[in-house]
Amino acid sequence: MRTLLAALCCLAAVSSLPALAVSVGESAPIIEAPARDGSAFNLETLRGEVVYLDFWASWCPPCRAAMPALDALHEQLGERGFSVVGINVDRSRDAALRMLKSVPVEFPIVFDPEGHWAARYALPGMPSGFLVDRKGIVRYRHEGYSAGDVPALKQEIERLLEEEEQ
Amino acid sequence: MKWRTTLCISACALLPGLLGGCALSMEQVQPWEMDRLARSEMALEVDPLMAGYRRHAQFSKEAATGGASVSGGGCGCN
Repeated sequence: MRTLLAALCCLAAVSSLPALAVSVGESAPIIEAPARDGSAFNLETLRGEVVYLDFWASWCPPCRAAMPALDALHEQLGERGFSVVGINVDRSRDAALRMLKSVPVEFPIVFDPEGHWAARYALPGMPSGFLVDRKGIVRYRHEGYSAGDVPALKQEIERLLEEEEQ
Repeated sequence: MKWRTTLCISACALLPGLLGGCALSMEQVQPWEMDRLARSEMALEVDPLMAGYRRHAQFSKEAATGGASVSGGGCGCN
């Protein structure tokens, strides 16, 4: 009986703690979500590539500001095995599509209107980015966006691409 | 008697955890849910036009300089 009560206490204490974001060194949870073209996206299909997961929303101005820079990285480094995946957390898909009309991007976009994957990754802020290596391990995390962040991100991506090309 | 004491202590230990869980899970708006705060129904004043009118009427009637944004009633006494 005592053990049971102690277990219940521990459970209550653990359940009251906020979820921790996916950390560097952990395996990236495999995202499965509907893509913009209607197909079903699975992160597993990009295993073997360096992937930057960008969680964004149309109501988030820094997310909007980050899109062109991420698209440029996707284009520049795509041939070397790099890809950006945009995970949209808008409740309304129309809002996301409207923004994509004004800020067009080439990288794949998937939709997470329920915030399931946002909760799974326990985003610390918006936008949040996770750089995943070819083995599916999170190697770099980024929160927020300013133009000055791009060189550091590019350096991290190139470091991973070089490290794994060897 | 011993059982009762154990039960009371356990209940006391369990209660803050459970209540804490409610507070954290029910009140905390997650970063990806921040758009909810921008909804009109989340505003302290539902109708911005009416709120502006009300403030204007209030500071005109009270002869208070600065309206609602400046402390004091305009009488110079506070």
